[in-house]
Amino acid sequence: VDVSQSDLLTLYRFMLTARCVEEMLGKLPGFHPAVGEEAVPIGSFFGLKEGDYIAPHYRGAITAAYMRGADLRTLFAGVLGKATSHNLGRFRGDICMPIAYRVIGMYSGVLGSTISLATGAALSARVLRSDNVAVVSFGEGCSNLGAFHENINLAATLDLPVVYICQNNQFAMSTRATQSMRCSSVADRAIGYGIPGIRVDGNDVLAVHSAVQKAVSRARSHGGPTLIEALTYRVSGHYGSEQPTYQNADERESWKKRDPLARFQNHLESLALLDPATASQLADATRAMLSAAMNLARADPEPGHAELGEHQLFATPQAAAF
Amino acid sequence: MRRLTLQQAIVASISQEMQRDTRVFHIGQSIGSSFNGSMSSTKGLGDEFGTERVIDTPMSELAMVGAAVGAAISGTRPIVQVMFSEFLSLVMSPLACDAATIHYRSGGKACVPLVVRTLFGAGPHRGHPEDFHSWAASVPGLKVIMPSTPRDAKGLMTSAIRDDNPVLFMEHMGLYHGAREAVPEEEFTIPLGVADIKRAGRDVTVVAIGMLVPLAIKVAEALRSQSVDVEVIDLRTVVPLDKDTVIASVAKTGRLVVASETWSCGDSMAEVMATVAEALCTTRAVPMARVGVTQVPRPFAMALERMTMPNEEKLVCAIMHVMNRPTSSSADNHGVLE
Repeated sequence: VDVSQSDLLTLYRFMLTARCVEEMLGKLPGFHPAVGEEAVPIGSFFGLKEGDYIAPHYRGAITAAYMRGADLRTLFAGVLGKATSHNLGRFRGDICMPIAYRVIGMYSGVLGSTISLATGAALSARVLRSDNVAVVSFGEGCSNLGAFHENINLAATLDLPVVYICQNNQFAMSTRATQSMRCSSVADRAIGYGIPGIRVDGNDVLAVHSAVQKAVSRARSHGGPTLIEALTYRVSGHYGSEQPTYQNADERESWKKRDPLARFQNHLESLALLDPATASQLADATRAMLSAAMNLARADPEPGHAELGEHQLFATPQAAAF
Repeated sequence: MRRLTLQQAIVASISQEMQRDTRVFHIGQSIGSSFNGSMSSTKGLGDEFGTERVIDTPMSELAMVGAAVGAAISGTRPIVQVMFSEFLSLVMSPLACDAATIHYRSGGKACVPLVVRTLFGAGPHRGHPEDFHSWAASVPGLKVIMPSTPRDAKGLMTSAIRDDNPVLFMEHMGLYHGAREAVPEEEFTIPLGVADIKRAGRDVTVVAIGMLVPLAIKVAEALRSQSVDVEVIDLRTVVPLDKDTVIASVAKTGRLVVASETWSCGDSMAEVMATVAEALCTTRAVPMARVGVTQVPRPFAMALERMTMPNEEKLVCAIMHVMNRPTSSSADNHGVLE
């Protein structure tokens, strides 16, 4: 897949934004940071069409929604549970994304749900005879759930236009991937469904982007689903304040050396598209933009009775936007 | 007017709604033209609409309901068949945790126009009788429907398909190919949340659902000879509950019996009793009783099934109990009056 010079720089800006978002929000105790895993969401959800649906893994979802056009202040208000958030404070905005941007989030704490929802978006595309696709990412822990197996098999049998991306950071909370499956790669599981299974370097944003774009083209041309494993590593705890004592420190340090942002920056510098001084300025500007958005979100009002919405449990006919 | 069975009436509604709205599609296992659904529950739909809109799936209930929820939030209006109510155990995550929550948690920006239809109840094939509708009824954000007559079934199914919320539609296998009723050929709706007084009476209110409705009507006729005038209310929609109709009836009769074909412990009908008790507690004491199935897993042997099932005798016993006219058999009717 060819990526234009301007797209390379756009990808870099998104990678940088993701890093700064994850570092900033990772300071919140309940947030699940994606530091070191950013290449997977950025590479996966870049270059899609407006009509496509994405269902990003909660680890990295904020920047994925931002890439689809959602503004950061409102997204941050969601993380803080403010009245101004897309969810009106009714659900945690770090995992529940704004549907108006065709970003499918979690509506419960049950992992694997987004695999089902994305499969359903592909089913809608089929029924409505549109050429939209659905792209969903999830952790490798989810590949042990029934939702993973049932939905991929269903999508395979119906040739649905959906791309399944496993963001394999090698840990489901404290459970190592090697303890929870006997095959060497989640991609190998594709054999059981009769669909392509692709393994990519999840710390290489261009490799992820290329693999996903090929799978998207295949899906869009009625070729059916693809399962991609993007191998990466969780260099933080499961959530912001958790210490990953179950990780090997040497292993973690070796993965930190494969940092996807630094690698991409080096790549762009080697192409003379970026220089260290510009990168540093961009990073400062990005952090300033995020702090400004966060300060506005922090000043937003807390939700009250209007947002509790005891009488808004059910959609009324007027509410049907579709 | 055509006289249809409950099964025919439901299929007629789905067919009409699929003709009317191309966003409506049906998904489930063995629902297409090669099998036409368990107990003919989708008879003719596969031939009429083809495999693109009557979609056969692998035996994967979690995926069919989960994907249907995803389809519902992305522009279509799926009807899923979860073959039997037992299999609701496999789909509670997408149904109760996602379908039920999405409209609310999206701040009203998404809705889930989804119908999950499922067979249950003691029927001709003697399998899968379990009625688990109360699981869904206990979750905010799901509507639950249980029709007892063919006409109601058609009007309620049409409303369910047109509703922008997730609806669980319970289809009783004992009623499925049973009594026929005149059912309008044209489209019509019966609003969700409106109970139907199937028989007016002055002395005691029986609130029933599903198979217990015809049973209650039969018992009501039988009790005329004992000068007991029974009002039979068919809830039709368990959620939303038609509180007004139920409370007005019990305010009139002063007595309440609830009847369903599920375990009384945790039954949605307990909510009916609580609603009445709360509404009328300052004005009058209301004698209440309930009839359900015995609190054991549904047994197989006919003899055991008969013992556990609600029947005329148990319902009469409950009615006479709230009338304060105990029957001779009431003492050994375990599991009826609790």
